[in-house]
Amino acid sequence: MNKLKWLIKRELWEHKGMLLWTPVVIGAVMTALAAAMLLFSTQGAHFQSQLMVNGQVTDLHHMGGFLEGGAPADVAAVLAKHYLDATTPLFIVMGILIFFYCLSALYHDRRDRSLLFWKSLPVSDRLTVASKLATALVVAPLITSAVALASGLAMLIMLALTMSARHFNVIGPLLASPDLYLGPLRLLGMWPIYFLWALPTVGWLLMVSAWARSKVFLWAVGSPLLIAMLGVWAQKTLQPALDIAWYMRHIVGHLLLGLIPGSWFMRDRFGGRALADAGDASLSSLSGPAWDVLGTPSLWLGAAAGVLMLYVAIRLRRWRDAS
Amino acid sequence: MSALISAKHLSKHYGQHRAIDDISFEIAPGRIVGLIGPNGSGKTTTLKAILGLTPFQGELTVLGLDPRTERDRLMRDVCFVADVAILPRWLKVGDAVDFVAGVHPRFDRSKAERYLANTKLTPSMPVKAMSKGMLAQLHLALVMAIDARLLVLDEPTLGLDILYRKQFYQDLLEEYFDEKKTIVITTHQIEEIEHILTDLMFIRDGKITLSVAMDQIGERFNEVMVAPSELDAALALRPISQRQVFGKSILLFDGVPRAQLAALGETRLPSVADLFVATMKGAQA
Repeated sequence: MNKLKWLIKRELWEHKGMLLWTPVVIGAVMTALAAAMLLFSTQGAHFQSQLMVNGQVTDLHHMGGFLEGGAPADVAAVLAKHYLDATTPLFIVMGILIFFYCLSALYHDRRDRSLLFWKSLPVSDRLTVASKLATALVVAPLITSAVALASGLAMLIMLALTMSARHFNVIGPLLASPDLYLGPLRLLGMWPIYFLWALPTVGWLLMVSAWARSKVFLWAVGSPLLIAMLGVWAQKTLQPALDIAWYMRHIVGHLLLGLIPGSWFMRDRFGGRALADAGDASLSSLSGPAWDVLGTPSLWLGAAAGVLMLYVAIRLRRWRDAS
Repeated sequence: MSALISAKHLSKHYGQHRAIDDISFEIAPGRIVGLIGPNGSGKTTTLKAILGLTPFQGELTVLGLDPRTERDRLMRDVCFVADVAILPRWLKVGDAVDFVAGVHPRFDRSKAERYLANTKLTPSMPVKAMSKGMLAQLHLALVMAIDARLLVLDEPTLGLDILYRKQFYQDLLEEYFDEKKTIVITTHQIEEIEHILTDLMFIRDGKITLSVAMDQIGERFNEVMVAPSELDAALALRPISQRQVFGKSILLFDGVPRAQLAALGETRLPSVADLFVATMKGAQA
């Protein structure tokens, strides 16, 4: 366990810019932009400023009208329910970052030959791959969630203070709203599903990363697409009963897009139903229905395939030479 | 179980090419063995087999373990420096020490820090800012602080200038080596390591052409400077090599008594480089 801790630290040293500073900078920029817009909106009445509220863009003048109509308690309830939705970009960026992190994780040290240094230490290949998996699916989501929570709260506080300055006090009802405190828990509650759903993606990327001698990206993205193209060609010429659409949705989609949080909603009947049930695409509405994905075979078959590919990655890591 | 490394009929094929071709050898504890051979002779492949980095045919035990299946256990007692340029560029000196201290149960942190204190390296210095010599110092500081039973060095001084090379081997001998440790080392710069070696192994085309203890070289090998008049008599004794210097022939003999050779001309002890050239003759053809 102690060794794993050091291996994860090692990953953070190497990828600090990617795993820590990128989300921090994006979070800070989003917060700063929100602050600037709030500032402008309080200064000039004619300034057009927009703000993400309720998961959609509204401008503050609309909000003004909306605010005057509503009671502080109603407004506070809406804000408490949605303050984390504004941080969605952070999580999409996170998915992309983890994708590229996994692609290089077992490849880059073979390329620069530092593999031989890591292999000179008493660390098993299993533990090495475990540290990459943990960094991708535990550490990175944790950092991003912390940043999201911080910037979401910062934006919420700024908005609440601005409203209070206009004698529209939402701070009291906001603090009394259970949604304010449930937000972080809902975020945390999404994590197990994310882990299981992204497992085949991470397994696939780590496997390619351990296997490819060069051009990892091309192998990881190109080969499933190439198979699809071959399938289309075969269907056109030989006309066997191939379901290319099914393959694209279930295999390619899951392998390549599984790291984007919530991508499980973009799929089969389950996704449509869940979204319809939820009413809107906000964290608070989706956190419950998201768990229903645990009842779908795609999630479990995918997770099992992910574990299998991780095992292959460990085997490959054992004998693959520095290139 | 006296041998530290024991190889029997060890082979490794890359397709049709035989990188190691049915070799057998034993290395006893407390020795410093030089594994010497031209490029592509199978040195590095042999070391990789010992370190469990490549699969092979035949039998090989290192510290009583099979490197293919028991590598994780083996690496607690084995350490290696593969090449100076392999520390990752982003690694900082302090982090490197912390990391090795964290994952290696036999790492003596104070020893590494003591060694680093004698260099220009500072804890916040990243590998990318280091010269090749500094890189070697860092790697050596990490490796020498590990109390390993077997240290494998593959071209450890490649690309270093003479000052760093001398310092490297001096530190290795003075600070690290003792009778409980064994070192296997490959290099092209034979002259620089011959004085620290206890055993010599020449490898060529995947086969071991010579395996001898350094203190036996004097008993087995003699070089004689022979005048042209004595040349026929000398050649009858089957020298393993012959070269010309200033009109005289210098012949190298294996296993011919020195007294017998003294009658033919002036005898002297051949250097390891001379032996190497003699045994590798034709290797480049």
